[in-house]
Amino acid sequence: MKNAFRAAAAAAVAALALTACGGGSSTDPSNVSPTGEIKPREISWLLSRPADGAVINIMKKIADDYAKDHPGFELNLITTPDRPSYIQKLETLAAANKLPELFDTDATPFAQQLAKQGKMVDAEKLLKTLDVYDDYRPGALDYQRFDDGSLYMIPFQFELEFIWYNKALLEKAGVAVPTSLDDIPAMCTALRNAGITPIAIDGQDQWPLERYVAYQPFREAGPDFVQKLKKGEAKFADPAGQKTVTWLAELGKAKCFQEGFSAQGYSDAQNQFTSGQAAMYNIGTWELPSLATDKLNPDVRDDIDFFTLPTTEGSVTAANEFVSPSGIGMAVNAKTYDPLVSDFLKFALDKYPAEYAATGALSPTTDVETAIPANATPLYQKALDQADNLGSKQAMPWDTQLDPTTNGRLQQELVLLVQGNITPEQFTSTMDNAIAQNAPKFFK
Amino acid sequence: MQPNRMLPNRSRTSVLVFLLPPLLLYCAAVLFPIFQSLFLSFFSWNGISDMEFVGLDNYVRMFVADDIFWRAFLNALIYLAICLVLQLGGALVVASLLTSLRRGRELIKTLYLLPAVISTVAIAFLFVRIYSIDPAGLLNQLLHWIGLGSLERPWLSDVNTVLAAVSAPEGWRFTGLYMLIIYAALIAVPKELEEAAVLDGASRWTLFTKIRFPYIRPVWITTTIMATTYGLRGFDIPYLMTNGGPGQSSELLTTYMYKTAFTSTDFGYASTISVFIVIECLVAVGLILFLLKRKAD
Amino acid sequence: MIAQAAPSTPPTTVPPAPHKAARRRRKPNLFRTLSRVLIMLIVIVQVYPLAWLFLTSLRTEQDFATGDPFALPSALTWENYARAFETGDLGRNILNSFIVTMGANILIVLFGMMAAYAIQVLGFRLSKLVRGLFLIGIIVPVQIALVPLFIDYSAVNLLDTYQSMIIPLAGFSLPMSVYLFSSFFEYIPRETYEAASLDGAGPYGIFGLITLPLSLNTVVTVVLVNSIFIWNDFIFANTFVLSEDLKTIPLGLQNYIGAMGKVDWTATFAAVCVTITPLLLVFLVLNKAMIQGLESGATKG
Repeated sequence: MKNAFRAAAAAAVAALALTACGGGSSTDPSNVSPTGEIKPREISWLLSRPADGAVINIMKKIADDYAKDHPGFELNLITTPDRPSYIQKLETLAAANKLPELFDTDATPFAQQLAKQGKMVDAEKLLKTLDVYDDYRPGALDYQRFDDGSLYMIPFQFELEFIWYNKALLEKAGVAVPTSLDDIPAMCTALRNAGITPIAIDGQDQWPLERYVAYQPFREAGPDFVQKLKKGEAKFADPAGQKTVTWLAELGKAKCFQEGFSAQGYSDAQNQFTSGQAAMYNIGTWELPSLATDKLNPDVRDDIDFFTLPTTEGSVTAANEFVSPSGIGMAVNAKTYDPLVSDFLKFALDKYPAEYAATGALSPTTDVETAIPANATPLYQKALDQADNLGSKQAMPWDTQLDPTTNGRLQQELVLLVQGNITPEQFTSTMDNAIAQNAPKFFK
Repeated sequence: MQPNRMLPNRSRTSVLVFLLPPLLLYCAAVLFPIFQSLFLSFFSWNGISDMEFVGLDNYVRMFVADDIFWRAFLNALIYLAICLVLQLGGALVVASLLTSLRRGRELIKTLYLLPAVISTVAIAFLFVRIYSIDPAGLLNQLLHWIGLGSLERPWLSDVNTVLAAVSAPEGWRFTGLYMLIIYAALIAVPKELEEAAVLDGASRWTLFTKIRFPYIRPVWITTTIMATTYGLRGFDIPYLMTNGGPGQSSELLTTYMYKTAFTSTDFGYASTISVFIVIECLVAVGLILFLLKRKAD
Repeated sequence: MIAQAAPSTPPTTVPPAPHKAARRRRKPNLFRTLSRVLIMLIVIVQVYPLAWLFLTSLRTEQDFATGDPFALPSALTWENYARAFETGDLGRNILNSFIVTMGANILIVLFGMMAAYAIQVLGFRLSKLVRGLFLIGIIVPVQIALVPLFIDYSAVNLLDTYQSMIIPLAGFSLPMSVYLFSSFFEYIPRETYEAASLDGAGPYGIFGLITLPLSLNTVVTVVLVNSIFIWNDFIFANTFVLSEDLKTIPLGLQNYIGAMGKVDWTATFAAVCVTITPLLLVFLVLNKAMIQGLESGATKG
């Protein structure tokens, strides 16, 4: 019995280890133009995008067109829109070495490890070979890059994040659009005194609050701060770190966010803003169809406007530099990369921008003009125009930068800090400890 | 060893015919993967790198160096206690009430089971609204109406109330199921016993403690074990409603384990936590059997 | 994201009771009124969510966004249902859930009964050990086994099939099923078997002629409870299913999630209402059978 048990144990570990190490036999990730015959077959794209959204609908159409000339070709789109569920699925597939031809991922430390193991095709070389590299907005590509500047994911979107506000509510409270981030706490106090919720925030999904922690350091110390922070080379105890910690505590003290925000979801927050209860709302251009068209509640439609991320005194980044993400990117599996995948990508990436821009969204490339929908308000054009006037730096959302363990801890501690459950000092020491403990594992 | 054998003539083959198919399915689909993952607790593995043997490091880290683990363990115990009170206490009260009802039992029993059918996503969404304060949710509205306005609070954001607030829906959801089990046991209590006790002048309470409860004790033990092991493994409602927050106020061992595995991609350490959950469940079951069986003797 | 193994009823672990007392005791009226009121209150608490869900699925988007979620809707609309059917393939999802639930239930009941029969009725030398092995499955959190399961299944080419959902769902529910059946078999009197044996029935005959018919109530219970969990299972389906054609209901509900996690809640609730209807119907029918079974089993012995 004992021997059988020991044998089973050995087999168990061996089975796992075999698959785990079996990934080494991949092809050269820098060979972006494989030679040989194009043999049509079914390929899959594991993605995390809305099932009925523009990207999926367009790619379906493009795949159908491609299949007309390449009978036998099929693009199987496997979407899991809920991000945590998607990540679980992606990691499971990666562990079993079963990643499909194409898969979505952010530029996370996990993805970087996949790239280091040669499991992803070098996207920079790929785009250059397809002769489309220069069409892309530099910002859209930069968002997808790893720390070392390498590029392994292809963007399919380009978004700008603004702070939307309700002019009537600001007027009622007698406050003006903030010219500095440091004005916001006082502004919140004034709004609260007028009985208005200052900022509506989706606390349940956690990333929206995490945006706020990135703002002050981006203005104070530039985009490098988070790059250093995540590796433990900078600390929350440093001046730029302390600035954001105190600022967040002030936001909390001034009751900037709706009470009980930590449990409120995406639509709750948006509804508070569009129903005229909250004065401000920080969200990106993916919400233009809800915020800048006649779908917006008529009661607030004429009062809505937006401002971009305010600067601060002595800010090292400019007013036209803020958060401009290009969404989750698409990686190409190096192991299954062959003439067919290459040929299809060439076909698809060529057709995609025009189709995408026609839906009223910003293309990650600059070679097409976004169509303004018929039901748009003037704000729509105003929002799109911001894309033409961007600086060269962008504020990276921290959730794709920090190692996942530290990130999880940060998201939890942020809520406590803003709710006033912990002091800025406690927050600083907890987070600096967490980084010191976890960062070395992910950024060797 | 004398096997527990009810059939006088049965062949070895017949045992194998009945036992092998289920056992094979179970071993292949459940036991083997579980053992694989339990062995991972001695390794450091992120899913894509090579596995590295680390001996007892993960266990040392869990017991000595992880403040969230202990917090989650404590939370899990409180969560369990609330679920048990709601599920077993609630089930017992409702089942007792039902036995006094003459008509409409079928319908009511069916209605009690409804919450178990509704998908968790919808339940979580509803309860987030019930607990909300801005706009005022059902609970805060109710408190306001009955004049307890001072108790109004964001139940899911207040670090002191969130754990109770996420336990309640989980407890409430399956009360009907346990009620049904206990009810079936209660109506089987021989009426003669009860009547004799009543003739002796027993109060309603003595009737319950001296006659009814001892009679349903075996069923009670099963129900307690079920509710306990499910309570210790509770996952989806806290995960969906607060994701463990604010801070770690509603983090359970299971949500922490899931995050360790799939957010931190630390499969080795996550396995270590699940080994702990398994042992925790075993200890709980042992305790229940020890306490309840001993009383019976 | 729920584990599938489910709490369940050991229906007739209740010892047989003699026939009903001829006359019921009279109860004080106050007590009776009080308990009626209490029961009605609890009924409201239990039924309310379903009613709320249904009402919300009939709200207009505007009303849902701005109105009090607990007030009655200002206007009713079927638009959400139209959108729910348009965006997702609800019929396909329901069919898949049905196939998976049925498949898993058959395995759970049949194998659960067989194992319990071998352990409890036939008996063998290591039966205690085997029973213990099965117990482990009751108490292990399933989330942890996902990665090894996936690796093992991909090794035998089981991914993305109905079986890849049915087998783990059945496997993880099996322990509870075995446990319930064996506690039921304990209460079938030894004499019943001995009598059948004397009539010349072998172990197979007894299983088919005595054990199986007697366990019908337990079967209904096991099916009922497991169906609830399997119908709503997310975690296995999400892990093992890749193609659109095999998506079950909980995966289908993801179709209403938009950019950055924005959920079309009214359409989701409409879809939830549609998808729980089949389960609810089966449930109402089975539940009656189960309750009748429980009561007759308990009173007639």
